[in-house]
Amino acid sequence: MIELFHVAKQYQKPHWALSDINIQVKRGDFVFITGPSGSGKSTLLKIIFREIVPTEGQIIVDGQNILKIPGHKIHHLRRTMGIVFQDFRLLFHRTVFDNVSVPLQVTGVTRKEIRRRVFNTLRLVNLHHNMWDLPSRLSYGEQQRVAIARAIVNNPKIILADEPTGNLDPELAFEIFSLFKDINKQGATVIIGSHDRELIRHFGQRILFLQKGKLLGKDAL
Amino acid sequence: MAANNLWQFRVRNIFSVTIICLSFLFLGIFLALSNNLRQTAENLSSNMVMTFFLEKGLTESEVGQIEAQLRQSHHVADIQYISAEKALERFRQNFPELRSILDNLKANPFPASLEAKLAKESSSSPDVLAFIQAARGIKGIEDVQFNRDWIEKMQSLSRLAKAVGFFLGGILILASFFIISNVIKLNVFARKNEIEILRLVGATNLFIRIPFILEGIVLGILGSALSLALLFLVIKAFPLYLGSSLGALQQLLSLRILTGGQSLWLVAGGAAIGILGSVTSVSRFLKV
Repeated sequence: MIELFHVAKQYQKPHWALSDINIQVKRGDFVFITGPSGSGKSTLLKIIFREIVPTEGQIIVDGQNILKIPGHKIHHLRRTMGIVFQDFRLLFHRTVFDNVSVPLQVTGVTRKEIRRRVFNTLRLVNLHHNMWDLPSRLSYGEQQRVAIARAIVNNPKIILADEPTGNLDPELAFEIFSLFKDINKQGATVIIGSHDRELIRHFGQRILFLQKGKLLGKDAL
Repeated sequence: MAANNLWQFRVRNIFSVTIICLSFLFLGIFLALSNNLRQTAENLSSNMVMTFFLEKGLTESEVGQIEAQLRQSHHVADIQYISAEKALERFRQNFPELRSILDNLKANPFPASLEAKLAKESSSSPDVLAFIQAARGIKGIEDVQFNRDWIEKMQSLSRLAKAVGFFLGGILILASFFIISNVIKLNVFARKNEIEILRLVGATNLFIRIPFILEGIVLGILGSALSLALLFLVIKAFPLYLGSSLGALQQLLSLRILTGGQSLWLVAGGAAIGILGSVTSVSRFLKV
């Protein structure tokens, strides 16, 4: 489903943030990308959802070379993905409902359908009682669950999460990873960037280890 | 979403509306002044008059002969005899502030005259001047006054007022464009996170732009419509402020209400500034 061929990224010479990355992720895979800070995890994820373009290499997502997609058509790619960030990136002046409904609004879903799908998704993450609250009234763990709800409300094929448990305590982090596992069981391909080794050991089916922008084998953990 | 955003940043938006309003108000005042000058010039143009001042002591018969001689010219549409008393009374009405001077005069200083309306087809004819020169030689005519120069000056003044208005108004409108652009840029920057999230969940550029464009249109229309309302008040209040002390000059300095077309253009101009300001502000945040 996702294939990277000789992908490399250089922000500033002479340092390479990523070097010669070759990855194949099949549909339904649950993949961890791990490594120390600055190893290139976030860069790799940003390249997959085309927030940035690589300096070298090609990326195929669902049979399409995403580097050949013109700028004004990138939204088609993004609509097949759900993205979760370490800093949640919620709209704090909007309710939980509004936050989760954003991906549905941009695709022109009717208000009735939005209400139904948002409610069902919030129930999945156990936040349906907080639908009309502002995110600032929720705990960190709950805020991250709102972000996850927003990422999955559109039933995306691919979920990308960049350090989704970075700000959470171990219990909450475990809870969040369990949620991702449930989402994966429903058919989504999940790729998580994380340096939480304990949780990766517990949940990891497939682990890609990055060090100084280079990919090492999973055994390197 | 646009309505929410307008309310959320209402202080900044009120500032933008005020700037647009003042810019268009200034332009509107000049347009109103120009409208008045143009209308006055047009009225005068349709009533170009040659005044033949008569020597004192002419008999009724002699006046009649002069009148008949003047009527023979194709430049003359109509002639009216104005007695010295009537001329004095006219002056009193047109220049009330000078009444006290007139009351102190022992004799009537105004001569009798024959006022001849210029024929329409002669309004720009150079032969008129030759006719006037010849008329000066008629026995009984002391002097001839022709107001075409004055009318041409009025028309020039009207054009000048319009040009100055457009020039200064144009500068102000440009200033308000930059101000509204910057205010919208601040709004956009304040919502940078929101825009980023919209981009990441697959919103098209148009979906992101539309609320800002609508906001720009609303601000622009509100500003220019408010300027029209204020302009109406100014036009009504201005004569009260001037009073009647200026006499004949008051007609020149009056403001005339804008035509329906001018008002629509003003409001459309406000909307256009709003759109342009929004489009230029949002674009830089939509690069992929």
